[in-house]
Amino acid sequence: MAGAIQDLTTARHATPPRRATEEGPLIRWTLIVLSVGFFAAFLLLPLVAVFAEGFRRGAGLYFKTFADPVTLDAIKLTLVTAAIAVPSNTIFGVAAAWAITRFEFRGKQFFSTLIELPLWVSPVIGGLVYVLLFGSQGVLGPWLQAHHWKIIYATPGIVIATVFVTFPFVARGLIPLMEAQGVAEEEAALTLGARGWQVFLRVTLPKIKWGLLYGVILANARAMGEFGAVSVVSGHIRGLTNTVPLQIEILYNEYSFAAAFALASLLSLLALVTLGVKTYVEWRARQQLEQSQR
Amino acid sequence: MSIRVEGLSKKFAGHVAVERASIEVGTGKLVALLGPSGSGKTTLLRLIAGLEFPDAGRVFFHGEEVTEKSAYERRAGFVFQHYALFQHLSVFDNVAFGLEVRPCATRPPKAEIRERVHCLLKLVQLEAFAKRFPSQLSGGQRQRVALARALAIEPRVLLLDEPFGALDAKVRKELRAWIRRFHDETHNTSLFVTHDQEEAFEVADEVVILNHGHIQQIGAPGLIQREPANAFVQDFLGLDFQI
Repeated sequence: MAGAIQDLTTARHATPPRRATEEGPLIRWTLIVLSVGFFAAFLLLPLVAVFAEGFRRGAGLYFKTFADPVTLDAIKLTLVTAAIAVPSNTIFGVAAAWAITRFEFRGKQFFSTLIELPLWVSPVIGGLVYVLLFGSQGVLGPWLQAHHWKIIYATPGIVIATVFVTFPFVARGLIPLMEAQGVAEEEAALTLGARGWQVFLRVTLPKIKWGLLYGVILANARAMGEFGAVSVVSGHIRGLTNTVPLQIEILYNEYSFAAAFALASLLSLLALVTLGVKTYVEWRARQQLEQSQR
Repeated sequence: MSIRVEGLSKKFAGHVAVERASIEVGTGKLVALLGPSGSGKTTLLRLIAGLEFPDAGRVFFHGEEVTEKSAYERRAGFVFQHYALFQHLSVFDNVAFGLEVRPCATRPPKAEIRERVHCLLKLVQLEAFAKRFPSQLSGGQRQRVALARALAIEPRVLLLDEPFGALDAKVRKELRAWIRRFHDETHNTSLFVTHDQEEAFEVADEVVILNHGHIQQIGAPGLIQREPANAFVQDFLGLDFQI
């Protein structure tokens, strides 16, 4: 008798406990198959295809792609662009998040909404705006030409367009975090005799560390992968104003499929690494937030 | 050492938080700011600490005017209601913080900081917890870390915002007796905020009763209970006793 009861309880525990929100098996399996199938078809398959296509003509040709000086220049330009755009937007993001969460000022709501603009607007517009501003027919064009400054169809333009598209990432990650954390620790530091910059370095920065890193990683991924805005301002000058995404397009249009896919796999790899690091950082950021709310 | 406040007023978006408040805390005294929630007692404490700035009135520490000085210049030890311990720092580093951030000229050498922190942790009976992090401590322990951290800067005055507010009843009672003894040993000029009259009357040398930002009465606990100054004080005390 006792054995029978025990069998019954173990049997019940073998299947996961049923929840009230759970639907019948038909709906459940339909949804699971649909979402996983969709994921495989639209995300996983292309990713595999990129690597497969890159290696199709053998590893030799794959690595030869990266020996091409024009491709190397594209990689270099992408790195330089990210190296300027990401730190600039990190500084801007911290400053903006600080201002929005710590001060009261007119138009604050408007400002914090507008920060997200680059996420909504098509990147092409981001690029076009700068052509209208800095291009030879643009508002500041004649003045720039008179001073022999080249922005459009040159590295500065690419950097500016990249700054535009990566603008919101750091600030957007920090604002909710800093709002949730409050200012009590900063106030405590002040009463203990810490000056403004000491409060920032010793209290605020450690508190937002993971949230900040999260924003920086996302901004970096976008900076290196941006196509639209950069395409408009670049002018596609080989070895000079081509970033990796633009170089991929050129290679593809020239039927150098293996090279195009090899370079594309580099960007995909970046995305995968970003995803991995992002997951870890996200987890740490959540931990930090929970800790501060305990 | 003393705190003197003259005609302090503060409004938040048109709402009066504190109105022409004047109080004095004698050297080495332990004074309670007592009132219902929203009576302006925490605002008054924050004005004294330099965490808020008054619309009118003046604040003096030890005869020196500090009204215009920022919080970091006032050297007022502040214990926050929810402790506001630095979550990313150990108990030791929390207590050492106020010494570490001093400019080179007045910062004690490492060895001295270490010694002083251990001395303070001993004082609050947390010597064994130096390496722990705030999240690993109980409420009462956090409270004592916050106290040690505030005392580390050798504050000119000690300000405590609802020091027992977030603790359960039993710990509250214990800590209350402990803090009175602690005060008798250390003699810091102290001002603490509470909404619990039993706490105020049991611990403080003098009680300041506030309502709607106005001071209703100032006096020794016995005096206030014998001779409430007005209907509000009578009501506030009486209502509580009926419960």
